[in-house]
Amino acid sequence: MSILKSLWILAAKDLRIEYRSREAFQTTLFFAVLILIIFQFAFDPGSKATLEASPGILWVALLFPGMIRLNQSFQMEIEEDSLHGIVLSPVDRGAFFLGKFLANWVFLALVGLASTVAFVVFYNFAPSARLWWLLVVELMGLAGFSAVGTVLAAMVAKSSSREVLLPILIFPIVIPVIVAAVNASQEILLRDDLNTLGTWMQVLGVFDVVYLAAGFVVFEYVVGD
Amino acid sequence: MKSAPILQLKGLTKRFGRVAALRRLDLEIHAGEFVALFGPNGAGKSTLLKVAATLLGPDEGKSVFQGGAPMRSAIGYVSHQSLLYGNLSGLENLLFYARLYGLPDPPAQARSMLDRMGLKQAGGQLVRGYSRGMKQRLTLARALLHDPVLLLLDEPYTGLDQHGGRLLTETLSLLKSQGRTVFLVTHNAREGLQLCSRVLIQNAGRIVFDAPREEVSDDDFESIYFQKIEETRPRRKSRGKRAARAGG
Amino acid sequence: MWSATDKIRLRQAERYLTAAKVLAWPAFLLILAALYMAFIYAPRERQMGEVQRIFYFHIGAAWNALGVCFLAVFIAGILYLWKKRRIWDHVGASFVEIGLAYTTINLTTGMFWARPVWNTWWPWGDPRVTLMLVLWLIYVAYMIFRSTMPDGEKKYKYCAVFGIIGFLDVPLVYVSIHIWRTIHPKVITSEGMALETPMIMALFTSMAAFTALTALLFCLRMAMRLQRTVVLERLYEETV
Repeated sequence: MSILKSLWILAAKDLRIEYRSREAFQTTLFFAVLILIIFQFAFDPGSKATLEASPGILWVALLFPGMIRLNQSFQMEIEEDSLHGIVLSPVDRGAFFLGKFLANWVFLALVGLASTVAFVVFYNFAPSARLWWLLVVELMGLAGFSAVGTVLAAMVAKSSSREVLLPILIFPIVIPVIVAAVNASQEILLRDDLNTLGTWMQVLGVFDVVYLAAGFVVFEYVVGD
Repeated sequence: MKSAPILQLKGLTKRFGRVAALRRLDLEIHAGEFVALFGPNGAGKSTLLKVAATLLGPDEGKSVFQGGAPMRSAIGYVSHQSLLYGNLSGLENLLFYARLYGLPDPPAQARSMLDRMGLKQAGGQLVRGYSRGMKQRLTLARALLHDPVLLLLDEPYTGLDQHGGRLLTETLSLLKSQGRTVFLVTHNAREGLQLCSRVLIQNAGRIVFDAPREEVSDDDFESIYFQKIEETRPRRKSRGKRAARAGG
Repeated sequence: MWSATDKIRLRQAERYLTAAKVLAWPAFLLILAALYMAFIYAPRERQMGEVQRIFYFHIGAAWNALGVCFLAVFIAGILYLWKKRRIWDHVGASFVEIGLAYTTINLTTGMFWARPVWNTWWPWGDPRVTLMLVLWLIYVAYMIFRSTMPDGEKKYKYCAVFGIIGFLDVPLVYVSIHIWRTIHPKVITSEGMALETPMIMALFTSMAAFTALTALLFCLRMAMRLQRTVVLERLYEETV
């Protein structure tokens, strides 16, 4: 069976389960919106300083709830040990990784899309064509985050301290994503020209490729045995 | 009479940290056998089954499946947990696994399997709402879906009520009559002895008793069992708590 | 009374201890030499003054952390996943500990240097400082993760995977911070320190001294880990 086919079977299963309950989506989104609002209170609401910091706030709102989601994505496999059901099947481990990654990415992208709408509202940005670029940057940043996160979430899934372990493991690694994505978003939202957007997107692209490839190769050791 | 073994376990040793669940264990299972493995908690029974199912790699020794490397698609495995998704329906669960195994015509396969397990009506319901017995039958359906050569069952009777237990026994005896190779781990003597063609007892990571079913009468079994366990009890049992954690 | 594997492990440990004894004197002498070179032989830097002497240890530690220890963790991780030999986990774990010590030395010395020279404790815009900080975070995370896992294959595999993933981040972190710095207005420049020949000599002596120290510490940690494995397994044998 081809890797593409099995990754699709796996991702479709995850997304179907998410669609069934929808509860995870709602809570993740609510948490993201909450972060956007809390930061307004933490700074001077509507001030210039808050506006300058807003791209960073947006990414905090995308990644922190996203991390909780990554943890949950393996809880569904641990609950009734279906992880072993998948590992026992002849499906390729790399395909398993890509399927899980794809489901996580789609989930986070949808939350990201909805949070961006809330962001535009709460931070008073004019809806413009530039926001499309923001969505592209979000997709790229969240891809890298999901790629690293899928591997790490699988490693901590059975640990009793996974809630605190996952952020400890994931955030040092995704610092390049944060730097690149926040700077790119800053340029899109607050600057006149888009001089360095391409450079930042290259950084994100390289990060995505490196960690997708790494995840594809090492996942065998993470879920095997 | 015996054909080439389906499964050969050679000198298996498996440690968890400092605790050894299997100690140089040897075992051969032949086609058509219905093997029942008994043993106390912590004997390493589940570990043995997991190694046979390729879920665990042994530290030492190897397992040979039909003369070659273990084939995941030829093994069916039922563990303590259902390996199912609560938020999918019974049919969706089977469909998912049928597709994952690359079976031809997954919908037909899944439906006929539901039928065979008497879950036709419940197929559309979420597994979350299943009774323990229904869930166990679906678990078995999942393990049989890809028509495995070898079926590994880890305490399948746990948590079943009498009715559920009887249904399971019926299903298993059907499998037996079909000549399927079954390896059943249990600590329930009555259910295990009822079906099996070969009796094994495991203790402290080793097989300590191995005999054809005909040589073990129902009445003798209990005394054999306790005698073997007593004989093979680890001698130095200071700090026995740690040893008990070896995992059953 | 020792099992065959125990004997092999103990013999290996013995070999590491011998190596450590052989290394101890050269390492000691090199460190003395490095101290002499840094504090007496090397001239006083004109602009930064005495504080510049930190530089020799700062760079020596950085080189050893990144170029020796964390690279070794990466390679040991790959070798563990490939060969499944416990020894590669010992190697990886030992180098994480040593590398982390060097990273800490590098960051603290950097702080004391940055304060008088750049008038800031933490030069956020400098890609090298930030890289070391991120490395410190990654390998502290490694140690925390390691400590939460019970001994066993899974732990060694996961640590190997994390060591690989962590090291892959090095170029990405460096490049992203570098771009970041070049587009932001420069508050701080670390360029423009022309090194005279005696300074370069002092730097190389310091790097050599640190490298010898790395080798020494590595041998000691390996011997300790091998012996501890034997002891822990013996303890278990006695319980069953």
